Amino acid sequence: MKSSALALLMAYRLALPGYHYEFPRDHFNHPEFQTEWWYYTGNLRAADGHRFGFELTFFRHGVSQDPAATIWDVNDAWLAHLALSDIDGQRFRHAERLNRQAAGLAGADLAEGRVWNGNWSARITANAHELTAIDAAFRIHLTLTPQKPPVIHGANGVSQKAAGEGRASHYISITRLAAAGAITIEGRAYKVEGLAWMDHEFFTHQLAPEQTGWDWFSLQFEDNSELMLFRLRHKDGSSDPFSAGTYIDAEGRARRLTRDDFTLQLGATWTSPETQARYPIEWRIEVPSLGLDAQLGTRLREQELAKYWEGAIELTGRKQGRPIRGSGYLEMTGYAGPVRIGD
Amino acid sequence: MPRLILFHRLILRPLRREPARTLLTVAAVALGVAVVLAIELAGSAAAGSFRSSMETLAGAADYEVTTAGGIPAGVLTRLALLQEPLKLDPRIEDYAVIADRRRTVPFLGVDLLAHRPPEGPSDSASFSRQDSIWTGADLGYRTGDRVRLLINDHANEYTVRGVLGERSGEAIVMDLAPATRILGRAGRLDRILITGPAPLDLLQRAAGPGITVAAYGSRTAENRRMLAAFRWNLRVLSYIALVVGAFLIYNTISVSVVRRRAEIGIVRALGAPRPAILAAFLGEAAALGLAGGLAGILLGRAMAQGAVGLVAATVGSLYVSSTPAPIELTLATSLLGVALGVAVSVISALAPAWEAAQVPPVEAMSRGRRDHQVRVHSLRDLAFAAVLALAAWIASRQPAIDGKPLYGYLAAVTLIAASALAIPALISGLTIAGAAPLGRLFGAEALLAVRSLAGSMRRTAVLVGALSTAIAMMAAVGIMVGSFRQTVLLWMQDRLQADLYLRPASPAGADRHPTLAPEVADRIEALPEIAAVDRFRAYEITYQGMPATLGAGDARIVARYGARPFLSGANPRSIFAAMPGRDNVIVSEPFANKHHVRAGDTIGIALAGRPVRLNILDVYYDYSNERGYIIMDRSTLLKYLPDPAVSNLAVYLKPAASLESGRAAVERAVAGRKVVVLTNRSLREEAIAIFDRTFSITYALEAVAVFVAIMGVAGALLALVIDRRREFGLLRFLGGATAQLRRVILFEAALLGLLANVAGLILGVLLSLLLIYVINKQSFGWTIQFHWPIAVLLGAITLVYAATVIAAIYPARIAAKLNPIEVVHEE
Amino acid sequence: MPILSLQRVRKDYITDGDPVPALREVSLDVAPGEFVALMGPSGCGKSTLLNLAGAMDFPTSGAVLIDGVDTSALNDAGLTRLRREKIGFIFQSFQLLPALSVAENVELPLMLAGRPEARQTALDRLRQVEMEAFAARLPYQLSGGQMQRVAIARALAPAPKLLLADEPTGNLDSSTGETILQLLRRIARQGTAIVMATHSAEAANITDTVVRLRDGRVEAIAAPCPA
Repeated sequence: MKSSALALLMAYRLALPGYHYEFPRDHFNHPEFQTEWWYYTGNLRAADGHRFGFELTFFRHGVSQDPAATIWDVNDAWLAHLALSDIDGQRFRHAERLNRQAAGLAGADLAEGRVWNGNWSARITANAHELTAIDAAFRIHLTLTPQKPPVIHGANGVSQKAAGEGRASHYISITRLAAAGAITIEGRAYKVEGLAWMDHEFFTHQLAPEQTGWDWFSLQFEDNSELMLFRLRHKDGSSDPFSAGTYIDAEGRARRLTRDDFTLQLGATWTSPETQARYPIEWRIEVPSLGLDAQLGTRLREQELAKYWEGAIELTGRKQGRPIRGSGYLEMTGYAGPVRIGD
Repeated sequence: MPRLILFHRLILRPLRREPARTLLTVAAVALGVAVVLAIELAGSAAAGSFRSSMETLAGAADYEVTTAGGIPAGVLTRLALLQEPLKLDPRIEDYAVIADRRRTVPFLGVDLLAHRPPEGPSDSASFSRQDSIWTGADLGYRTGDRVRLLINDHANEYTVRGVLGERSGEAIVMDLAPATRILGRAGRLDRILITGPAPLDLLQRAAGPGITVAAYGSRTAENRRMLAAFRWNLRVLSYIALVVGAFLIYNTISVSVVRRRAEIGIVRALGAPRPAILAAFLGEAAALGLAGGLAGILLGRAMAQGAVGLVAATVGSLYVSSTPAPIELTLATSLLGVALGVAVSVISALAPAWEAAQVPPVEAMSRGRRDHQVRVHSLRDLAFAAVLALAAWIASRQPAIDGKPLYGYLAAVTLIAASALAIPALISGLTIAGAAPLGRLFGAEALLAVRSLAGSMRRTAVLVGALSTAIAMMAAVGIMVGSFRQTVLLWMQDRLQADLYLRPASPAGADRHPTLAPEVADRIEALPEIAAVDRFRAYEITYQGMPATLGAGDARIVARYGARPFLSGANPRSIFAAMPGRDNVIVSEPFANKHHVRAGDTIGIALAGRPVRLNILDVYYDYSNERGYIIMDRSTLLKYLPDPAVSNLAVYLKPAASLESGRAAVERAVAGRKVVVLTNRSLREEAIAIFDRTFSITYALEAVAVFVAIMGVAGALLALVIDRRREFGLLRFLGGATAQLRRVILFEAALLGLLANVAGLILGVLLSLLLIYVINKQSFGWTIQFHWPIAVLLGAITLVYAATVIAAIYPARIAAKLNPIEVVHEE
Repeated sequence: MPILSLQRVRKDYITDGDPVPALREVSLDVAPGEFVALMGPSGCGKSTLLNLAGAMDFPTSGAVLIDGVDTSALNDAGLTRLRREKIGFIFQSFQLLPALSVAENVELPLMLAGRPEARQTALDRLRQVEMEAFAARLPYQLSGGQMQRVAIARALAPAPKLLLADEPTGNLDSSTGETILQLLRRIARQGTAIVMATHSAEAANITDTVVRLRDGRVEAIAAPCPA
């Protein structure tokens, strides 16, 4: 069992330094890597001031590399999550779907310029990412306009997650997209505007066995700068040395942050009635090199989705001695059991 | 209160005084009600609340998408991309046989990735493994069990990865991908279930032309519609026993009235009004009906258990694979049974009860006039009979209404009525002509028997009417089935010309066409012993809202070896020559009749989502299924549905090859696969066995009707003995021996049986013509050639005859045991 | 030898578990050609005596000899044979079979006995009672007197030595009754013994012997005394 799993793994390409990025090609599918995901998150506000967080994510996981004998054979399983955090309505709605590629049920295609899973899709052009997702209770339709070029995280094209060759991912972000469009909840439509963030990551195996989860932050400041941080956790709760981050300044220049560049302090927690997991939903982040000291929190505690918490957050604090505000998304995994990518 | 007393004295006491006869009458009603109820219950379980076996796991779908030959995957994608919140459930539907249980169960390929089973390994890889199955809750397997399944032409071991939730029935479920591989499907789907709000026209546009999108349950509704006609015919058949029972109630009440004329006269003289008398005798009938109805419910429930299997077998071989639902005896059905018993009894008793009410009070004075003779106007009745017969003839010329041969049945009922009216004339004629010679031949007993039958004409007429109706039904159905059987035998002789037939071991049905791998055919074709292999493929399709079968064979081979008689009488060769590569088809007679098409017409069907127009070259005789066939050449089929799998093979040997060597070679070639190799002869035998099984329920119903009639004969003879006891006593005074008394009764039974057989056979032949040329033709659409099933008919009639005489043994013994002194002197 | 001989005949019927005597110690001889009237009130035992005389029943004690044969010694088949050959019955209510024609009614005992030439014999007997013209009629088409004539013809059909008549004129008006009695008288003269139960003194007058019964006993045996 182990050896065959290993053999399977060996057939996929590893995320190694020196990868040459090219757009728009690298916005789309990389089937030679076992796992790939596209994350769209953002904070929106309706004309009447009603606040929302949204998330639309597409996952691809390689199941088999055998040549397909029938149209229904599953080489890649395509998972997608859709979530809408109704901040002012204090309601978290989400949906999930899993499909096979068969005859175009799901995929990510450069020629078509889209990433999709059934009728959830992201159409990607040079100027915009158009998101559409439909669920029985709600739907979103948003046009996201990139304000900055894509950022490649880590060093030399790889975001290293653990010690060892290939324990890394190719990690691309567009850290600031202007969002505009419509949200419909139970038949009621809201015209919305706001800010969005896109992550796109592909890899074959990145975490080490002792790494049981992570906390990931995407923060967008009023001053047009952004910060991405992730903390890889061990079973005992300690931070892994490969925890890291990236700061993008207002001009779009990226600066790499390592474990030693930031400190994270946990605040209040929220226990999920569903999974009994205890998620820290208040944090204090300090990045001395940026002069940043910020308090993070959420107005909607219940933003758990499947076995992880991912939700809209707000921050207040000081940056370079001046008060600053911002918003973003926080993802916490591994609190409801260790993470296994590709389930 | 006075009425109750009247009822008690006039009715209940006499009933109690003759428990045997009362019991027989009640039993006759009970049997009649029981048969109707049993068929109702069994029909409802096996065909009425029809749910295709495939309806398991369908959930609360709103729409279903289907098309002949399977839905291309692209349709699923187009639906999935619609900007509507829909849940799509794509399915491949087939059957598997659980090897060690010899049980055929639905085998479904579903999207286990999108709709994960509740149990089983959670990793994405294992559910799509070739040996992973999930089993329906009713099958009783547990996770980890190994199950050997026969699917199409192969049997393999599978592992139960989990058990499905409630209402999963007996389904076996697998992911789409391995199911596609195992079933040898070309990647198409059999059905997509859609759950969610969306306008039908939007779905239809997305699915494309040639794809049927319909509200969920439409197919079930279609099948129900198809089965409704079948159930209707079955129901009509089940009422025969009740009709025979009605004759007997009529007889019982008539006897009561005749016997109690003097009592009625006295009661009338003492001031009872007519309605009281009417009510008393209707009350007697109602009491008998009530008792019969109640007993009938219990009996019917028990009989339904036996009938449901027979009905299900018929449904399965003629129409559609279904799982019989459990038999449910509801309060409503029970009440129906009781109401039926009471209603039939009361209606049958109307005439004699009316007659009773007409008895004048002076009748009380005319004591001694025991043998009140009701004049029978046999000639006038004969004229009425002729009029009714004419009416029956006219009715028989009318077309079906809504697929149901209502006029045909009307003609049958009219004919039975005509026969009932003609029977007194028949009895008069035969007894007048036959009394003297019979007396000379068989002595005083025969003379007495003939004379007494002729003397109590009305009673005799009713008895002969009941028994002859039952015999007629039996004879008619016997002739019809026998003719049908002979027709099928002859047809098979024409049709089945190949030496060997191959088909997958997985059982086929009217709507179920398991496949053989195409290489089987190739391998056999390459054998040196083989001259030709005809590859036949069948698909279940829907044509104009009714299920049908699309088939394709090799027209060139059929033209060379086979013969397929056409309705037009055209040369089969020229027809077959016009089929290959072209959109030309032939259709079976049931198809042509059901859809009102004929040679030269064009029909439109959709194949794998493409609308196709097909020209009908001719209509051919077919008796293999009632749904109807559209037959095209294999090349035409492959043009639209490029799936090379075959449903069965007809193998023609070279003249030099012996059957044994050819068969051995073929069996070697298919070794390792689950393929049934049948010789021409064994295929015919199998087909005829299926035929016989299909009609077993019919035979069973006939048998019950005849049994009821014979019970009636026994009861009537018992009444006869009691009424004529003085006469029997007198015979002893006149030097008659006890054996002679017994013989009188036996002679009467023999004569009743003879009269009933003569009348029944004449009526039966007429009814069989109706069945063959009107009712069957209109219900099922096939032409049956008339044949006399002499042996069966003779056997049945002899049996009925013997049973009639045996039924007389008990009354005969009673007659012999009477004390002559008492019965002669009692006044 | 008497054609009928009752010797100390006793006959009990069981009623409510107790034997009730119908005849007690009755002795009577009837010679061939003798015309005997049985008289007495209802329930005196006339019918019982006729049944015993007709081999339809056995005595409780004593013996009934018909033409010298003890009935108690015979089984059912023997009794039947005895009746067929020696005895004819006539009833008050005629007892013709309604479904049979006149000729067939007369033929019936012959046919039951399996005698040949039944039809011819029947017609002869009908001629004897002056009913041959009615041979093809059905009983309901006849008057009471005619019916009784037919019944007599039927009783005579097998040429019995003993005719048993139970109130043969009971259902007839007096003039018709008189004709029937004359007919019986003639038959007795021709050699057939007749035992006739009757209430009627006029009827008794025409006989050779009158036997009076009371409470199951013979009260008197005497010649009739014309009133």
